[in-house]
Amino acid sequence: MMSGIPDVVCCVATAPAWLAVPPNTVVVAAGVAAVGVAAGVIGSLAVLRKRALAGDAAAHAALAGVALAFLATGRRDLPVLLGGGLLAALAALGVLVLLRRYTRTRDDAATAIVLSVSFGCGIALVAGLTSRGVPDAAGLEHFLLGHTAALTVADAALLATVSAAAVVVAVVGLKEATLVAFDPGFAAASGWPVAAIDYCLVGLVAAMVIVGLPAAGAVLVTALVVIPPVAARQWTDRVPTMLLLAGLIGLAAAVFGVAASALVPRLATGPLVVLAAATLLAVSLLAAPERGLLPRAWRRRSARRGAA
Amino acid sequence: MGRFPLAQLAPMGDAGEGVQHLAERLLGPGGGMHAWAMATAALVAAACGLVGTLLVVRRMSLVGDAISHAVLPGIVVAVLAGGRPGGPLVLAAAVATALATVWLTERLTATGRMAEDASAGVVFTTMFAGGVLLVTAFASRIDLDPGCILHGVLELVPFDTVAVAGHEVPRGFLTASAVCAGLALAAVVTWKLQVFTAFDPEAAAAAGIPVRGVTAGLMAATALATVASFEVVGAILVVALLVVPAATAELLTHRLHRMAVLAAGLGGCAAVLGYLAAWRLATSAAGMIAVVLGLQYAAAVCFAPEDGLVIRGLRRLALAWRVACEDRLAAYWRAEETRDRCTRPVPVATTGAGRFVDAWLAATGRIARGPGGRLLTARGREQADTVVRSHRLWESWLGRHAELPSDHLHPPAEWIEHHLGADVRRRIEAEVGARARDPHGRPIPPEP
Repeated sequence: MMSGIPDVVCCVATAPAWLAVPPNTVVVAAGVAAVGVAAGVIGSLAVLRKRALAGDAAAHAALAGVALAFLATGRRDLPVLLGGGLLAALAALGVLVLLRRYTRTRDDAATAIVLSVSFGCGIALVAGLTSRGVPDAAGLEHFLLGHTAALTVADAALLATVSAAAVVVAVVGLKEATLVAFDPGFAAASGWPVAAIDYCLVGLVAAMVIVGLPAAGAVLVTALVVIPPVAARQWTDRVPTMLLLAGLIGLAAAVFGVAASALVPRLATGPLVVLAAATLLAVSLLAAPERGLLPRAWRRRSARRGAA
Repeated sequence: MGRFPLAQLAPMGDAGEGVQHLAERLLGPGGGMHAWAMATAALVAAACGLVGTLLVVRRMSLVGDAISHAVLPGIVVAVLAGGRPGGPLVLAAAVATALATVWLTERLTATGRMAEDASAGVVFTTMFAGGVLLVTAFASRIDLDPGCILHGVLELVPFDTVAVAGHEVPRGFLTASAVCAGLALAAVVTWKLQVFTAFDPEAAAAAGIPVRGVTAGLMAATALATVASFEVVGAILVVALLVVPAATAELLTHRLHRMAVLAAGLGGCAAVLGYLAAWRLATSAAGMIAVVLGLQYAAAVCFAPEDGLVIRGLRRLALAWRVACEDRLAAYWRAEETRDRCTRPVPVATTGAGRFVDAWLAATGRIARGPGGRLLTARGREQADTVVRSHRLWESWLGRHAELPSDHLHPPAEWIEHHLGADVRRRIEAEVGARARDPHGRPIPPEP
């Protein structure tokens, strides 16, 4: 199982043996943590571009892709299932673009239609497979709310690789993404292919949502892309700092979720990851030095004292 | 035609039993149970369609999405506090949670300085995650489980019954009827307020309508529809019931009240069809209802009577064909004009699609074979007169008003000659003079 995994990962896996934590859990946590970092980074760009919920439709559609991939191959290997999920997510985004162009339906309604109908297909497929007693089909339900306990080391390596690649793409395209996020009109006038950059960004978000599926599940994975950036935004006005902070917050939330779900296997990972991220957001909203509610209240009070 | 089995039902003397009996005859053993489940699903679908109509035209589909996720913790807390699923305490808790969600989203947009969709994404995922954790943590004390939250347990609705006037009626059916009736009544009473606020909130506020209150009422209605649908289709697919029938109806009609009635009807149909499909295919009813809703929407996108892709394509094709025919007639007209002047036959090119156009013009009696090739008939000449007249009048008008060089006048006239009405032609002629020539010096034919 460990073949093909870099030595570094093996060292990380064996080091905390004295903690009596199963080494598998640590490797899986490392993989999911990488997803958390990448989701925070990509999510920051998406949130700044006001595409925060682009991933939601993709994530819901992915469930049908996962079920179809299982149906087509009869295997429950994570790369196969996630590949199916990615195809379904991209197909859903394509349908969304077509609906916006060729029908009278408003953007928000089109998003809700694609999201709910594709999710319904996914639910019907999974329930149909389960009710026919297909062996292994029950595990597909873990993609609804996230369940990291069943991940293997190879799966974690896959998640980490995709996340690293996504972060590299985001850092390379940081200048373009920032430009398009803050002044799309100027970007278009300067000759930048704004539509192509937007498609790349949404594609990256879709990829992050897909690798986030095992950790957070189709229903909640969009939170991984949205909450850490919003929290990071409270602390800084600089884009690179925001990316870094969002990555760190995503990492903390992912690690907490995996650890808690490893300790209490009954709990799904997704809600734990989301609540950890939401707690960090609440702390940010209250305590961030410039914008936080508490520092602002403190400043207002001292200003009033100074005036009096 | 076979005899309807009324004769067998009548002696039983009990309407409820009779309906059950009929359902079993139609649907097989256990049909009564299925009928209850379908009736419940159809009722909540109708309620959602009604509310969804207003959400869709107000561009608030995603608020519906957010509310349908966010009411979960409210429901769970109310159930833990002793409320019955579908009881008044749970309904009140759901409405309170929905309003809290909307308020929190607004606050977060203001203080966190984030776009509204990001704030909504933060709030509803957090509340849904909290609800799921509560359900998992207190699983022993409430009969909800994560699966039920996500895709509902429509199949189990008929088994939880209460006695009403001596009949066992499913509790979910009673909740659904009460919510559906209440929402329909509220919609009828407040329709004008809702419509005014939806289409022109500033004017509504200026007219003294409490816009925020009307919006809060819509949010409360969404929460009620959501909580009634919760055990039927689950949290996420409520969005399908709220948005898809309304969007389908919007493609089929341009009047808001028709859209609301249509959305309720489409939702009800999809609920029954989806349930039957799920039963036949042994899969989740909620999933299949969403699939049927999606198919309805796809059918409307393709075949809607005014905005459907098919009718739009046919209309475009018909226009292209008319333009091709008129261009061809005008070409014959000009050829004959040149021939009259210099007694030299000008061949009319017949290539590609032109051959089909010629065949059609000949078949409809607008051109005919003459001594020097094909010639316009009287009917064809009349139509060609109109086209050439429009063309040359437009060139004259442009030449006077647009300061274009004379070799730039032809292309716009070539385009508009198919669209000018008799009234516009008359007005241009009144301006340029009745016996005027066009800028190229050729006569403008009179109105046929």
